Amino acid sequence: MSAQPDGPMLVAEDVRRSFEGMHAVDGVSLDVPRGEITGLIGPNGAGKSTFLAVLAGTLPASGGRITFDGEDITRVPAYARARRGLVRTFQLPSEFAKLTVLENLLVAAPRHRGDSLLGALMGKRYWIADEKRLVEEARGLLHRFGMSAKESDYAGMMSGGQKRLIEIMRALMLHPRCLLLDEPMSGVHPRVIEEIQHYLRALRAEGLTIVMVEHELHLVEQLCDSVFVMAQGKLIGSGTMASLRRQREIVDAYLVG
Amino acid sequence: MNTYYAANLLIFAGVDIIACIALNLQFGVSGIVNFSFIVFQAAGAYAAAVLSMPPDTAADYSFQIYVGGYQLPFPLPWIGGAVVGGLLAIPIGIVVLRKLRSDYQAIALLVTSIIANTVITNARPFLNGAAGLALVPQPFQDQIDTATDTYQYVYIGLTAVAVAIVWFVAARIVNSPFGRSLRAMRDHELAATAIGKNPVALKMTIFIVGGAIAGLSGAILVGFLQVWAPSTWLYPETIILFAAVIVGGRGNNLGAILGALLVPVGFEEVTRLLIRLNIGPPNLIPALEWVLIGLFILGFLWFRPEGVRPEPRRVFEGSPEPEVERVRAA
Amino acid sequence: MSLFVAAFGFGLVSMSVIALAAVGFTMQFGITNMINLAYGEVMIASAYVAYYIDQTGISIWVAMIGGAIFGAVFSFLINRFIYAPFMRKGTANLGMVIVSLAVSLMIANLLLPIVGYYSVSYRERFGSIVRLGSVVLTVNQMLIIALAVVVMLAIHALLRYTRLGKAMRATAANPTLARSSGIPTQRVIDIVWLITGALCGLAGTVAGLDSETFAIASGAGFLITALAAAVLGGAGQPYGAMVGAVVIGMVTELSAAAWSPDYKQVVAFGILVVVMVLRPQGLLAKRGALAAAG
Repeated sequence: MSAQPDGPMLVAEDVRRSFEGMHAVDGVSLDVPRGEITGLIGPNGAGKSTFLAVLAGTLPASGGRITFDGEDITRVPAYARARRGLVRTFQLPSEFAKLTVLENLLVAAPRHRGDSLLGALMGKRYWIADEKRLVEEARGLLHRFGMSAKESDYAGMMSGGQKRLIEIMRALMLHPRCLLLDEPMSGVHPRVIEEIQHYLRALRAEGLTIVMVEHELHLVEQLCDSVFVMAQGKLIGSGTMASLRRQREIVDAYLVG
Repeated sequence: MNTYYAANLLIFAGVDIIACIALNLQFGVSGIVNFSFIVFQAAGAYAAAVLSMPPDTAADYSFQIYVGGYQLPFPLPWIGGAVVGGLLAIPIGIVVLRKLRSDYQAIALLVTSIIANTVITNARPFLNGAAGLALVPQPFQDQIDTATDTYQYVYIGLTAVAVAIVWFVAARIVNSPFGRSLRAMRDHELAATAIGKNPVALKMTIFIVGGAIAGLSGAILVGFLQVWAPSTWLYPETIILFAAVIVGGRGNNLGAILGALLVPVGFEEVTRLLIRLNIGPPNLIPALEWVLIGLFILGFLWFRPEGVRPEPRRVFEGSPEPEVERVRAA
Repeated sequence: MSLFVAAFGFGLVSMSVIALAAVGFTMQFGITNMINLAYGEVMIASAYVAYYIDQTGISIWVAMIGGAIFGAVFSFLINRFIYAPFMRKGTANLGMVIVSLAVSLMIANLLLPIVGYYSVSYRERFGSIVRLGSVVLTVNQMLIIALAVVVMLAIHALLRYTRLGKAMRATAANPTLARSSGIPTQRVIDIVWLITGALCGLAGTVAGLDSETFAIASGAGFLITALAAAVLGGAGQPYGAMVGAVVIGMVTELSAAAWSPDYKQVVAFGILVVVMVLRPQGLLAKRGALAAAG
């Protein structure tokens, strides 16, 4: 199957994931539209984060099929999915604490000549050109996300909101085609939430496809073009946030869940 | 201080420095708690020994049983020691590093170390069992009289060259983008996977590199001591090296050198001094030395986990000063 | 053939000793999340305490209680003053492994000047012999088997029928949830260290009695066998550890009969490697620790 320019960016078909008999994700099928921000909502324990992890490959699927931009990636390991442009972030802060902010970005750059044992042994002269170009690029991102002043600070010393930004910038260093964000605004100062929203809209405007798991429904309403609802491992609805609010069973699932 | 004593001190220091640099690559930089480190040093030592010794049927050697016996000239035994150390890392790495959680990896490696020692001790035909190998030939012993001062200087020189090569390799790795990937994996393995790093490949690579360097350190040691037996590579020897890297500074090559000089070399010298001065009952001192090493580990992990020389912060050309520093300066 | 029947008898004894050791070890891990590499050295220290009591003329079966009490108090103190503070400080699991190995080294070398390098034996090391068909066992060995059976039943009763057991299982499954539903997890953990420490002390004494002689150097071997049984049964699961002990005990004794007694630990290790290669995730997954208790 070849990539279709208008087809969905990411397709899940009957995706399953169980932990010792418990079905955390129980046969989810959905299409993620290209160039939009798609929300994934549901009560606690609905399996949203697990589903996101299965899409990214950080948890292997127990069954089903995942297609990314026309390619079947079900058996592709997580690191290789990231290299192909399907990049996830995490719900908990996951910065490389003892690397500086700038290094956190640089380390994510793919195809760096110095990023292999042989390249390293060849010495600085062999890879310095790549390094300079990437420092340039990373500084561009830092500038855009308002973190230039922090580039030489340890990432572990940053605030919760700054760590979120670092993670998004780090993902962008991979030039992704699709970002999978796991609650990118949880535990973040309200002012920074606004900033993140602004950046996500700007990324969408550049054509990036974004899937985000989010708890705060008003944020989903403001940001997402369309929304999928999960409960107890299953997909129970989809549409715009406004249309979902009118569906009785979905509201019930939330209240009960 | 006579030449032999100086040679002894310097060569032990060189071997410990090489070992600590290798362990720092694995533990300090990459976060692999290799509790069977000493097994790789031992593998290198045994390999160098049987590569340089004559077959066990030779006249002076028939009191021991061992495989090999190729009488290879220097530097082949040293190279062979490094190669065997690196090769040994492949099967152990495949079993241990692929799927286990990092703390289980550490325990699996500890068990591996204890069992490897048991096997070599009991399997006499392989490497002469508990008695170990003796009369291991020294480099250039046919060309230079090993009883002379000149020979001691030569051996110190050879060790120094090895230290320089290992330092060069380690520095290139640590200061490269590859080293940065290793450090990222150490800080957060799952996040590193999510940005396209293959943690198994990274770990295997550094496990093999570290194994080879450890093997080289064993080859140097056995060429000097001329004997090698299971009692010289019990698992607590690995803990001394861990203490050295923790004290010196995890992730810092200079720290590894400092740690090597402070812990294994320093302890060795202090013990020797105390015993010579007849302070305390003789077998109390080595025991207390181990207790002290344990205290060093706990104390540093508690009060100064980054060690005497912490991992350097990488500041790039044209970077603004780190925020924290500016606050401190103000 | 009779060699193997005899080995079967020894297997019963071995599995009893291993079960005593492995259940305590695995419960420490399952409930307090601590892989205690000092376990083997605490076993040895307790065995020596029992030895000194034994030397005064008191029966080893009484001295054993002294060993158990020492093991309990010592383990409790190690946790209170070393492990717990490091854990509170946020030390990662990997760091805790290094801490416990350092503690293990310190215990062994603090003991050395006190007890010496040489092997010691309990006065009762040889008991009178009992024949059951072609199985030949000493009275000591029969008592060891009986003791292990009683202790395993007691552990089962503790986990299954007491409030403390339920609190332990809840703490193992999810400490945060347990705490928020009113279980005094700190006290539960203290008690767990006392109970598992007592098991450890008991196991050390019994192991010393079973192996006829022991020395400081025996600690590593004790640890490895307990570890192998715990891992085989699924780390953190007492019932799994019992099953693991049965397998390791039998296989090592049978292999000793067939091959060489020098390789008992190597065989245990071989089993461990096979399990690690074949089903690494399921094997050491902490999920469902203690769950089999109901």
